[in-house]
Amino acid sequence: MDLRECYVSFGGDYDEVLGRLQREQTVRKFVVKFLDDKSFRMLEESIGNEDYDEALRAVHTLKGICQNLSFVRLYESSSLMTKAFKEGEHKNAVAMMPQLSDIYHQMIHTIQEYIQSEEK
Amino acid sequence: MDSSKKKDSTTVFLLYSFISLLLFSIIVFGILGIYMNRKSKETIYKVGEIYASGMNEQMARHFGNIIQLRFDQVDGITSVVSPEGYDRQSLYEELIYRAQIRGFDSLALCSDQGEFETLSRVPIHPVNPVPFVEALNKGEQRVAMGVDDEGRDLVLFGVRGSYPMKDGEESIGLIAAVPLEYIADFLSLDTGNQLTYYHIIRPDGSFVICNPNTELEDYFEMLQKGYDPATNIEFPEGSLEEFGAALREDKEYATVLSVDGEGRQVYGTPLPYSEWHLVAVMPYGILDEVINNLSSQRMLMTLLACVSVLAMLTGIFYRYFAMMRLQLQELEKARREAIGANRAKSEFLANMSHDIRTPMNAIVGMTAIATAHMDDRKQVQNCLRKITLSSKQLLGLINDILDMSKIESGKLTLTAEQISLKEVVEGIVNIMQPQVQAKKQIFDIHIEDVRTENVWCDGVRLNQILLNLLSNATKYTQEGGFIRLSLSEEESPKGENYVRIHINVKDNGIGMSPDFLNKIYESYSREDGARIHKTEGVGLGMAITKYIVDTMEGTIDVQSELGKGTEFHIVFDFEKVEVMEEDMILPAWKMLVVDDDELLCKTAIGALKSIGIQAEWTLSGEKAIELVNQHRKARDDYQIILLDWKLPGMNGIQVAKEIRRNLGDEIPILLISAYDWSEFETEAREAGISGFISKPLFKSTLFYGLRQYMKDGTEEDETEGHDMDLAGRHILLAEDNELNWEVASELLSDLGLELEWAEDGQICLDKFQKSPEGYYDAILMDLRMPNMTGYEATKAIRELDRPDASSIPIIAMSADAFSDDIQHCYECGMNAHTAKPINVVELARLLKKYLI
Repeated sequence: MDLRECYVSFGGDYDEVLGRLQREQTVRKFVVKFLDDKSFRMLEESIGNEDYDEALRAVHTLKGICQNLSFVRLYESSSLMTKAFKEGEHKNAVAMMPQLSDIYHQMIHTIQEYIQSEEK
Repeated sequence: MDSSKKKDSTTVFLLYSFISLLLFSIIVFGILGIYMNRKSKETIYKVGEIYASGMNEQMARHFGNIIQLRFDQVDGITSVVSPEGYDRQSLYEELIYRAQIRGFDSLALCSDQGEFETLSRVPIHPVNPVPFVEALNKGEQRVAMGVDDEGRDLVLFGVRGSYPMKDGEESIGLIAAVPLEYIADFLSLDTGNQLTYYHIIRPDGSFVICNPNTELEDYFEMLQKGYDPATNIEFPEGSLEEFGAALREDKEYATVLSVDGEGRQVYGTPLPYSEWHLVAVMPYGILDEVINNLSSQRMLMTLLACVSVLAMLTGIFYRYFAMMRLQLQELEKARREAIGANRAKSEFLANMSHDIRTPMNAIVGMTAIATAHMDDRKQVQNCLRKITLSSKQLLGLINDILDMSKIESGKLTLTAEQISLKEVVEGIVNIMQPQVQAKKQIFDIHIEDVRTENVWCDGVRLNQILLNLLSNATKYTQEGGFIRLSLSEEESPKGENYVRIHINVKDNGIGMSPDFLNKIYESYSREDGARIHKTEGVGLGMAITKYIVDTMEGTIDVQSELGKGTEFHIVFDFEKVEVMEEDMILPAWKMLVVDDDELLCKTAIGALKSIGIQAEWTLSGEKAIELVNQHRKARDDYQIILLDWKLPGMNGIQVAKEIRRNLGDEIPILLISAYDWSEFETEAREAGISGFISKPLFKSTLFYGLRQYMKDGTEEDETEGHDMDLAGRHILLAEDNELNWEVASELLSDLGLELEWAEDGQICLDKFQKSPEGYYDAILMDLRMPNMTGYEATKAIRELDRPDASSIPIIAMSADAFSDDIQHCYECGMNAHTAKPINVVELARLLKKYLI
């Protein structure tokens, strides 16, 4: 699996990100770094603690990362959740969590697969 | 019909009530007048009675005084003349003498038998001796009437006094007499020229002293003899009897008689020292005159008051009526408007369901077709293309509706940002070109000497306005028609910092009917009729446009004629952007501009002159070739030539070929075009065209377009961000997420920038505070951060007490691109806003703008 295939598989726009970051190497570096990003964990925790201000910030950050790295699918659901939090509809926002979580974990899984395939 | 009937009934009701009010007031005022008249008459009669009573009392007192005086005088005689010491004769003489000096004409003695013995010359007799003698016997002072032998009426005063009489008896009283006239004179009873006159009567009603005015004689006769129907005197019933009784009982009595219809106040008062009554008669003639005068005046005044009150009422009533009518009319108008709006809305819904269904059906249908032909790649592609088109159309519709609902709920806000009119117009031209070309329309853009290109304005909304007007123009203009967009500039009345921009969009399309022009800016209106049935749109565009123009404090006018075309004219006052204007000066080249549009030539010449170029112009290609050749011969070649692509006769490319043939390759020949030149670029390059300049011809367009052809050819491509000298600049980047920070850092390091990371707003503020003055060249600020948001950090930085606190550029970077957020950024003191994902070119442009 190459990076483009990886992007296609988790629902990202590879051409766009490459257009912005210029080098495949850079893109790869950030995609790998994404595995260590704490935003998602923060989001999960703050929803668990019912701290919705913090949750909004976390999902907003996640949305920003998705924009920067052209993670289109994750961007869509994080964007929806951000909007819901912003408008104070916490219930709706929390209800989106399972879906967002699915997408996120799939992504993580795909990226890990990609790293493994490269190492071989 | 119904409403007019209703109006009529209202009018009739108002009219009737007004007339009733009128009648009512007249009756009330009339009754009031009559009542007041009667009352005042009564009052005046009462006053007359009081007056008469007062006069009578005075008169009676006067009478009493006179009588008393006379009695005293007679008493005086008896006290000075004593019977002793005189013989009878001398006693009589003495008495007469004493009486004479006291003003008594006659003197008599009276025996207790009632026999009179007159001492003076003419004998006197009492008219009614019995009561007189009786009173004398009792010692009462009482006057009585008497007569003498010469027939004169006398008034007799008798006092007790014992004097020897002729027959040797002793008298019981001394009687002195004065003529009746004396009393009458004294009381001024017989002067006829007074308002009030007097009688003196006896209790039986007979006259003692009768005034020359004898009009009431009958009445007094009737007092004696009973009612006589032959009289001409009218009096209240019982008056005779009451008066008679009052006379007998010595009481005062007042009544009103009427002689020949004229009132008389009659007032009887008993007189002292006598049985007589003084009767005062006061004719009401004069009084009546006064009263009538008064009452007629009152009547007049009452009438006047009535009339004035009525006039006032009428005035108020009329005014009120008019007001009510106006209100009714307004109500009717509002009702009709509401109905109209309602109808427009339902029409709109009907239209819309059609408009939405059409592309939606297309999408559904095409999807089905594509599914059926999954393997036929070409078919699927075709379907997808159509689906895309329909989706876009649908999206446009929905955007319009959403915009409108935003406007209707008052939520449309403007975001003032720095925009370049040049960029806006260029953008619009690019968007419009496919549409214009599809309909083979001529699209002209005139930029008439617009010197201020950078202004504060909501670029998105300005775009929307222009797009709407232009796409309407193409939509409603037939194939091969003509559309022109022109911009011009003038001084703004708002002041030096503002510039007034006129935008004109003109076409020669189907135009609009005057009826439609009246409601062009109303929501949901769309020129109806078969001829435009196939054009799509919801009819919200103009309402939105109008609203945006209004919100931007601009004006929009439209002129249109059916079949001839439409012209929109928009005027805005924009605030100028204070920029260090680059010195846009080029060498003093000689230049030729060739365009068939004279106006364009002239404005282009003006713009060229302002950047230092001397240019000539001509309208046709043939003429241009001629001019070029002339100059060649004169060894005074043009140094650069601008050719319009579309020219009558030879087109720009042909002209270029011809010129190249004559001149060779040295001189740059540029093609001006409002069209996308990719279609004919190859052909043009082959013909020897050196480059292209796109309309609109702003000053800066010309400057940057021509600068590349400066002889030394330096500074090429300067607008590209990467070549810009940003290297070594210190940038503070506030971003809470590490990954985002790294992406930014990666991208911006390529520009040679020195980046420093602040993990949140607080850290950003601290770092800036601790840095030496001028160390950081700019701050890039994320908005949502823990501890301190970007907004708060910016505010705090701007409030710091150091020279660069207010000057350092702060650029927001955020995943939000809502205009409210952007507005908030500016309010907090940020200079600009850029949305994530990070766009190096955009960021470089912004940095360059604020750093250089």
